[in-house]
Amino acid sequence: MDTITKEQRKAALDLMKANLASDSKFQTHLNACVRCGLCATSCMYYIAFKDPKYIPGRKVNLVSSIYRRYFTPEGKYFPSLFNARNLDAEMAEEMVDCLFGGCTMCGRCVKHCSIGVDVSYIVKKGREMLAVMGLVPKTLQATVDAAINTGNNMAIPTEEFVDTIKWMEEELQDEMGDPKANIPLDETNRHIIYTLNPREPKFFPLSISAMAKVFYAAGESWTLSSKYYDVTNYGFFNGNNEEAAKIAGYLYDETHRLKADKLVLGECGHGSRASRWEGPNLLKKAYDFEMTTALELMAEYIRTGRIKVDKTKNQTLCTLHDPCNLVRNGGLLEEMRFVVKSCVANFVEMTPHGNDNFCCGGGGGQLAMSEYNERRLKIGGIKADQIKATGAKIVITPCHNCVDQLMQINHTYKLGVTIKTVAEIVADALVLPDPASPHDNPADTAAETVADPLHTDSNSSK
Amino acid sequence: MDIKDFEVDGDGFLTKPELWNEEVAKMFAKSDGIEEMTPKHWAVVNIIRKNFEEKGNAPMVRTICQETGLKLREIYELFPLGPARGACRVAGLPKPDGCV
Amino acid sequence: MIISAWISIAALIWCIAFLVSYLIGLIRKGAPKDLSERSGNTVKGIIYSNTGAMLPAAKESAYMHLPTYTAGMIFHIGNFLSLLMFVWIIVCCCCNISTPAVLALILAALLTVSSLCGIFILIKRFVNVNLRSISCFDDFFSNIICTLFQIAGICIMLSFSNICTYTDACSADRLCLMNFYFIVAAILFIWMPLGKIKHLIYYFAARYHLGFFYGWRNTWPPKHI
Repeated sequence: MDTITKEQRKAALDLMKANLASDSKFQTHLNACVRCGLCATSCMYYIAFKDPKYIPGRKVNLVSSIYRRYFTPEGKYFPSLFNARNLDAEMAEEMVDCLFGGCTMCGRCVKHCSIGVDVSYIVKKGREMLAVMGLVPKTLQATVDAAINTGNNMAIPTEEFVDTIKWMEEELQDEMGDPKANIPLDETNRHIIYTLNPREPKFFPLSISAMAKVFYAAGESWTLSSKYYDVTNYGFFNGNNEEAAKIAGYLYDETHRLKADKLVLGECGHGSRASRWEGPNLLKKAYDFEMTTALELMAEYIRTGRIKVDKTKNQTLCTLHDPCNLVRNGGLLEEMRFVVKSCVANFVEMTPHGNDNFCCGGGGGQLAMSEYNERRLKIGGIKADQIKATGAKIVITPCHNCVDQLMQINHTYKLGVTIKTVAEIVADALVLPDPASPHDNPADTAAETVADPLHTDSNSSK
Repeated sequence: MDIKDFEVDGDGFLTKPELWNEEVAKMFAKSDGIEEMTPKHWAVVNIIRKNFEEKGNAPMVRTICQETGLKLREIYELFPLGPARGACRVAGLPKPDGCV
Repeated sequence: MIISAWISIAALIWCIAFLVSYLIGLIRKGAPKDLSERSGNTVKGIIYSNTGAMLPAAKESAYMHLPTYTAGMIFHIGNFLSLLMFVWIIVCCCCNISTPAVLALILAALLTVSSLCGIFILIKRFVNVNLRSISCFDDFFSNIICTLFQIAGICIMLSFSNICTYTDACSADRLCLMNFYFIVAAILFIWMPLGKIKHLIYYFAARYHLGFFYGWRNTWPPKHI
């Protein structure tokens, strides 16, 4: 980065000003850090690299030094006394390196901060400033662009998606021995609209059939959209809130278009967060339909007896990886364990786990940023050690982003484990109803009246 | 010849896919722990390569299965890192976007 | 009262005016208006944020760094004590009364321990490469001025117990000490709202926001698993 133009600086400072004016949270966290440095040992990057540039407090300090320089009199007149820094090229470069390339926004340091500074929130605000300056790492931006332009972050053409879904449907019918077992596409007035991570149809479709099996067992009335099924939202990571809002809007609009009662967010930590918690704020309106995660839905199925699971079907020793965006930042600590423990006979926790768990290393958009690949694999070593210490042979996690990172850790650190989503574990433990006895619920009747969606072009070609 | 002779991105994907050839594939495979490229490996790689040259992107795993006649699980066994980080890299494609 | 006392009171007013303005600013802006559907209980989250979440067992910054954590806690107790003592000394000056000898000795002893903790933390900031790399003048000076304020407090307590009252400038030495104390106090009060000691306000605001955030999302209070 050679220079920062006046326009770039102005855009970033205008954004900071607007963020400062909107509520008291930004001002609070910018002023609260006392640079005690005790957060260092809670951060994966610091633990892995021992480089002070990764100390969470220092990341906060990058953003707060700009705040002091431009928004406080003491920083304006005595910058060197208060570490108030100009927003120049050097500063922007450091910010890109540390806020994009040196933080998974997992929030582990937040929980352990001696004060209670929301480091990941400040990092997010810093990324937003970099985004308005046009400084998002290329590979991350490419993923966002693909989602905006095609409706999914892997730019999968609709026909190819539909082919894959039909393929999975055939497999499901074979497995269930029931020609009525189906994966509905673009059906309207269903109870649930389900969403996926594009890596499922593209490369790992077994988790789609696993969830379809769960829906089948539950007799759920559900559908997928053939166009807007992508649960991910890398706009949450690139810091461009307009883009994030646009992507969140795709699912919002599609839920309305298909007249579903409930949007169910597939197993994706940041994607769930981007819709469930950030979506209404991005779109500046409360959602007028129900929204839940696949995890909570499966918990409900099991709790209400809508599906029956037999944990003895999963005998291998399993452990659980807590996705940061679902647990620390999503409050699903108990739900996740309820589902998993209902479905596996032998379970062991990692140390630490739950709200204290370490990120897989692929969060915060790291998985999409080739620029920082080496760092990502190095910090993943912490997770590798955690997994090794459990002795488990299966690692379960309700997040496809984590799954991919864990697969790479598995390979890199030669762990010899299998990585599974929660739906896959639930599907393995399912006790299916006798196919001969028809269950009386709306899904079945709906399924009977529906023609093959592949050939009802009015739907599939949207 | 060594992987270091090639320009790769941070994820180890070729930055210039046109420089790919069979030797490169073998080298990348080896670095992923695939000691020998069997005919099944080649079948997968060739399909990916063909799709990339025709359409400019990686094929769906469905296409790979369909064209090679391999089962999904076999593909995951052939390429332990999966179709994206495993097979596509060996086939000399740039890294696909998204959570891979 | 001597002139330095008046100066310190003026500085205190400046300090309070700033801190109150920060506080009013924060209250005016209010909490973020979250449009997502709340899952937990924000009140319980905020209560937990200020109670359970602050226990040493709940934080790595405490249980992984016990010497620093302990020193920090004692240092902060000393700081609050020093502030109360300042008010008391001003009252003594105005009303011509003095601190009972036993109390003065106890306070001096407590402040000796806490100021040593302050010095320990200061040395750590100088010596520890990581810590030094994230520190600026404010970080050193804020510590130094607080520690100095505590040390000045000790001196006052030891020389002005019930032997003579504060307004009784019995000797040039003692007058000098009084001036030293009030000048240190004045510098501290002037610095406080500018430097990082303003976390006196922002600490509580941060606990509130964190409790609100985690409470909203049902992360806090934590579930037992």
